Amino acid sequence: MKKLATILILTLALVAVPTLAILGATGALDLVGQTEETWDEKAVYQLLVDAENLSGMSRYNNQIIAVDGDLALPKEYRGVTITYSSRHPEIISNDGVVTLPDTCWIDSRNQQGQDTTQFDHLNDNWPVVLDVTLTFMGQVRTAKLMLVVAPAEGFTCDKYLG
Amino acid sequence: MKKLLLLLLISLGFSTLLPLIPVSASAGVRYTDEDYRRLSAVIEHVENVLYYGHAYNQDTDLLPDAINTLTGMPAVWTFPNRAEVPYSDLANQQNFFRTLVALSLVTGDPRYREEAEASLAEYMETYQNTNGLMYWGGHRMINLDTLLVQSTESENGPHELKNMLPYYELMLDVDPVATVRFMQQLWTAHFDWATADLNRHGSYSAPYNNNVFGQPMIPDIIVMDEFGMPIIPANSPGDLPFVNAATDLAYAAFTLADYTGDPAPREWAQYLMRQYHLASNPDTGMTVYQYKSTLITKSASECAIPSYTNSGCGDRVARQFRDFGPIARESNVQWKNTQAIYVDNILMLLEAADRYGVNEYVDWARGYLEGYLDYGYIRINGTNKIIPMFNDGTVTYGYVVPEVGYYGPSNMRLDYVEMPTTYLLPILRTILATEEPENQVKLWTYFREIAHTFGLGDVGPLGGNAPALDLDTAIDDPFALMAMVELYQATGNSEYLESARTIGNNIVHAKFRRGFFVESEIMLYSRLDQPETLALLILDGVLRGLAPADMPYYLADSGYIHGYLLSDDGVTEDRNYSQTIIYTKTIYD
Repeated sequence: MKKLATILILTLALVAVPTLAILGATGALDLVGQTEETWDEKAVYQLLVDAENLSGMSRYNNQIIAVDGDLALPKEYRGVTITYSSRHPEIISNDGVVTLPDTCWIDSRNQQGQDTTQFDHLNDNWPVVLDVTLTFMGQVRTAKLMLVVAPAEGFTCDKYLG
Repeated sequence: MKKLLLLLLISLGFSTLLPLIPVSASAGVRYTDEDYRRLSAVIEHVENVLYYGHAYNQDTDLLPDAINTLTGMPAVWTFPNRAEVPYSDLANQQNFFRTLVALSLVTGDPRYREEAEASLAEYMETYQNTNGLMYWGGHRMINLDTLLVQSTESENGPHELKNMLPYYELMLDVDPVATVRFMQQLWTAHFDWATADLNRHGSYSAPYNNNVFGQPMIPDIIVMDEFGMPIIPANSPGDLPFVNAATDLAYAAFTLADYTGDPAPREWAQYLMRQYHLASNPDTGMTVYQYKSTLITKSASECAIPSYTNSGCGDRVARQFRDFGPIARESNVQWKNTQAIYVDNILMLLEAADRYGVNEYVDWARGYLEGYLDYGYIRINGTNKIIPMFNDGTVTYGYVVPEVGYYGPSNMRLDYVEMPTTYLLPILRTILATEEPENQVKLWTYFREIAHTFGLGDVGPLGGNAPALDLDTAIDDPFALMAMVELYQATGNSEYLESARTIGNNIVHAKFRRGFFVESEIMLYSRLDQPETLALLILDGVLRGLAPADMPYYLADSGYIHGYLLSDDGVTEDRNYSQTIIYTKTIYD
C-alpha cells in the first residue's frame, strides 16, 4: 500500500528529453559572436543556471522512487553537459539507473535496542544524494539532487547499528 | 543603467544640501539624497531609542534591550509570579554600542559614542560581581524599575555568554581594569584547566584569580584512533564544551593577550580552539559543536525513560539517534546549532586571524566551510538549504525519530536545514582572507551560487571584478548589505556599492517603522542588538571614505535572555527564550 502511494516520476523524463534536445540545437548558437570576455563568461554562467533550472533535473529532488530502471536524468541542455555522481551508486548509478535496495535504510529500535513492531517501516526509504556537475565552455556549476528510494519487494530490515 | 543615471541626477541635485558630511566622500563616489535618507532613518531610530530608553527611568544610563514601537516602553520579562520586569542586559546591546560609535564617526557628533560610554561605564561600575563576571548574558538582567540584578533561571542564574562577542575595544576604552578583570574571570568561571572541560554556565561564586592564565598547559585531550579519526572523550561531568561558549572565551583571551601583551591568554585560546579542530572529521573537513560527550552519572533506570534528557545519561544524540551507530554523537551533528559552528565561530576565527595574526585559522575556516558546503549545500525550489547529516557525511535527511529525546519529539522528521543570509559573511570573509587564488576557487564558486540564489545577481568569476548584479534586488538583509560593502572594498567595483545602496534602501523601506528599525513591518519590538543599523552605517562610512578599520565591525547578534516566565496564556509557567517570546510579538498581539 505504501509503495502504491509513492510517486513515480520516470514518465517525466520521457516528456522532458525530446523537448530539451530541440532547445539544445539552438542554445549554443546564442553565444556565437559574443567576443567580449566578461559577457561570454556571464552568458555561460547564466546558461549553466538555466540548465539546472530548466533541464528538468531539479524536478527529481525529493521524489520517491519505487521501481527499478533508468530515471532518464537529463544529460545535456543547450550544449551544457550534465553528469551525476551518486553517493549510493549501488542504488542509483552515476547514469541514473535505479536498483531498488533489498534492505531498509535504517533499522529503528527502541532505546534498549529491542526490535518492536512499533517502529517497523519507520525509516525504510533511502535518501540518495546525487552530486551534479554542469559544464559548458570550461565553466563548471555544481548542484545536488536528493532522491528517496524505497526498498525492493520482500526487503529485509535487521541491521541495527545501535 | 537607468537607475545609475537617476542616482547621478539625484545626487547632482541634492548633494549640496546635505548637512552631515564631516569627512570627504569615497573617491569617485557621490553622496546622494538616498544615502542621506538612509542615514537619517538610522539617526531617527537612535534618537528614539535614546529618548524613550532614558525616559523610562532617568536615574540610570542603562537602556532596555528592546522598545515597544507603539508605546515607547521597554520590553518586559514576565516572571511566573506575574511580575513584569523591564530589563537591560548589556550583552544583548553590543550592536547598538557599535551603532552609536559608528554614528559618531559618520556624523562627527561625539554625543552618540558618549551615550555608549556612559551606559557601559555605569554597567561596569555597578553591575560587575566582585569576582569579575558581569551581570549579563543569558540568565541575568538589570531590572529597570529597581536597578537591581535579577535572575531568570531560579534565584542564582549562572553567567552565560554564547556568541555575544562583546565590543571589547570600547569597554577597554571606558574601563580597562573592569574589562581585563572580566576577560580573566570568564575563563576561571567557565573552564577547567586540568581536564579542558568547559561549561557554558559560570558561577558568580567562583573566586577571582588574577593568575588565571598561569596554569600549566595540558596535552590535547583529543587524540586519534588507529585510523586517524578523532576520539571524542565521553568523560565530561556535565560540562559540555559547546562551541558557542568557547567562541566567547577564545575571543576574550585573544583580546586580553593583545591588550596586555601577555601571550598566555592567546596560547590558551589557541589550545581551546585546537580541540574543536582536532575533533573535526579529517575526511570531510566538517567540524564539531563540542569536543566531548558527557559521562554517564545517572542510573540505568532513570535513563531508561527517553523523555529524561539529562546529560548525566550520556550523549543525547547517542541515545536518540542510536539507529545510526557510533557516528551518532552530539559533537557530530550537522543539522542543529549550525549557525554557531559555521557562522559565529568562523567569524571569530577570521577576526583572530586578521586582528591578532592567528593565520592558520583562515585555513581552518576554509576547510570547515568547504567540507560543509561540499557535502551539505543544496538548492531546493530556488532556495539555499543544507542536507542534514553527521560530520562524516552520513545523511539523516528524512529520518523519522522513533522516540522523544533532547533533539525533539517522537515522529519528528529531519528536513533540510535553513541556510540564512548570515552565511554570506563567513564564506566571503574566508575567501578574502585566503591569500592564494587557487585556494579561493571552491569557496568563491559556492559564494557565487549562494549569492545568486539569494537574489543578489551574479558576482561573476573569481575576483569579483566583473559582476552582473541585480541592482533592483528585493533583498532587505543586513548580511547581504555587508557582503556587498566588503566586496566593494575588496574590488573597488562600484557595482557592489550600488547593490549595497539598493539593499540599504530596501532595509529602510521594509524595516523602518514608527521611528524604529524592526524585524518586519508588523513586529512590535525594536531590538537594540539588531544588525541593520550597524550595516547601514558601515555602508555610510564607506561612502564617506572612512577607512574600514576605523569603523566598528560586525561579529555577531546572538544576544538573548533564557529562563522561566509566564506563558502568554497568563497561567502556565514556561522556560523559553526572548527570541521566541518577546521578539515574535506583533503590533496586533
